[in-house]
Amino acid sequence: MRIGIVCPYSFDVPGGVQFHVRDLAEHLIGQGHEVSVLAPADSETELPDYVTSAGRATAVRYNGSVARLNFGPVTAAKVNRWLDAGQFDVLHLHEPVTPSISVLALMAAEGPIVATFHTSMLRSRTMQTAYPIIRPSLEKISGRIAVSEDARRTVTTHVGGDAVVIPNGVYVDRFASAPRRSAWIGTPASPTIAFLGRMGEPRKGLPVLAAALPDVLRSIPGLRVLVAGPGDPDEVTEGWPPEVRAACEFLGSVSDDDKASLLASVDVYVAPNTGGESFGIILIEAMSAGACVLASDLSAFSRVLDGGTAGAMFANEQPDDLARTLVDLLRRPERRAELAAAGQHRARLFDWSVVADEILAVYETVIEGRAAADFQPQGRWNRFLRGGSR
Amino acid sequence: MSEVLSWVFAVLFVLVVIAWYLSYTAARVDRLHVRLSGTLAALDARLVRRAEAAVELANSGLLDGATSLILANAAAESLEAPAEHGEARELAENDLTEALDLALTPDVVSSLRSSALGEDVLGRLSSACLRVQLARRFHNDAVTDVRRMRRTWTIRLFHLAGHTPMPHTVEFDDASPEHLVAV
Repeated sequence: MRIGIVCPYSFDVPGGVQFHVRDLAEHLIGQGHEVSVLAPADSETELPDYVTSAGRATAVRYNGSVARLNFGPVTAAKVNRWLDAGQFDVLHLHEPVTPSISVLALMAAEGPIVATFHTSMLRSRTMQTAYPIIRPSLEKISGRIAVSEDARRTVTTHVGGDAVVIPNGVYVDRFASAPRRSAWIGTPASPTIAFLGRMGEPRKGLPVLAAALPDVLRSIPGLRVLVAGPGDPDEVTEGWPPEVRAACEFLGSVSDDDKASLLASVDVYVAPNTGGESFGIILIEAMSAGACVLASDLSAFSRVLDGGTAGAMFANEQPDDLARTLVDLLRRPERRAELAAAGQHRARLFDWSVVADEILAVYETVIEGRAAADFQPQGRWNRFLRGGSR
Repeated sequence: MSEVLSWVFAVLFVLVVIAWYLSYTAARVDRLHVRLSGTLAALDARLVRRAEAAVELANSGLLDGATSLILANAAAESLEAPAEHGEARELAENDLTEALDLALTPDVVSSLRSSALGEDVLGRLSSACLRVQLARRFHNDAVTDVRRMRRTWTIRLFHLAGHTPMPHTVEFDDASPEHLVAV
């Protein structure tokens, strides 16, 4: 199958959508499909050979955050050339409602189109303004995918129609086979817990964890907290009690391998995120690595953890509840082992081999529909009109 | 004189814009209808394949006689149902979903998985069920798009949809057999 994938966000900076596109493309190539990815990127950025650069991205404020996108007539011409050269059986667009190459490709494309919606925070005002401009193009999409229930709700309320939910994929085996590192393995007297994510971003929940730690340390004085992620420790820990600061070890940004090892080594992985998570791929990574997961009870997390059977949960933004659950987990190794095993089993459902098969089934359905439609005779007048919307 | 001419041009311009807008809208409706007929054909093909997989399971000799009969009967009903999607077709597909759910109890699934043939048949069946879900979802999306588009006054006033009947969503239970998904 010849597959064209369009990623609206620049490959210069890593991000959830970019990783998703990269992993999907690599998995499909591994299965013998021909895949070409179009994405914005600087000329200096090193790109895998299946990625075509759509030019340099500009930072733009859109939908409440800064995104690196690219657009304009030159880019549009580039997108058209890529489409013409590719002759794709199916075109897979990501985030088709951002002002970027996804929209440009959607407007220009003629063949079967699949679109994946990642975001769950589309503002309705933005959609209402964009609606008349983009509506005729959105009608060309024959298969809509949402990466989570929240993203699907965004599609049903703002875009109309429905979407199939196909979650993000994880290479479960990469995490499952990660070596444990002795420095990060806890002992009964001095167990270890891990936090991952941007420290300075409050919605990642580090302040909630910090507020819970004094209680936890009273029960388990030897606890070590491993904090991995970009951010300035001095700035973040300002105002923390000294005993909490002493219990924390800051690892800074970690590589993918280190992240997997960290998750495989610690006794409990804590995800105190307070909101804005549409899916929670990090939980699945932790589950794959065999970590016992303790997460806030966001609806997205609850779905990943199967309502609490594949990992423990605490009431969101309640440090007291977090402290109680965490102490309980740290004192009961058999409970941790049970949750970790359940988590590892559940993570298999999100492995790329499963997820990519579902995405391929979407491609096939869409291509089949298109082939059946093309079978019908078309007049010259129709072709002329449709050519006009190209 | 020049004033008259500019009026004439203004009127001409407006007419051209209206004509362009109407033909553009007509092309949009036409494109939607093409998409709709495609998704319907795809759904048809997928339903046939699901019924065939069910027949294969019924004939495999791996199920007990009574269950085989129920399943074969439901699959035959689905294959013989009228091609256009009406209530009869939806009922037949509902029955097949139910029959599959009844036939594939946890015990049956695990015993089927122990043989190579059973594993093969189950694999085909579960992929057929997934594809039915996708095809129905995509078809109903297309129906929603067409119906929304055809409600606009331009299309109703100028009769741009022609004589194509208003499409209806296809509604039946297409859930995969409960014990088939749990790995």
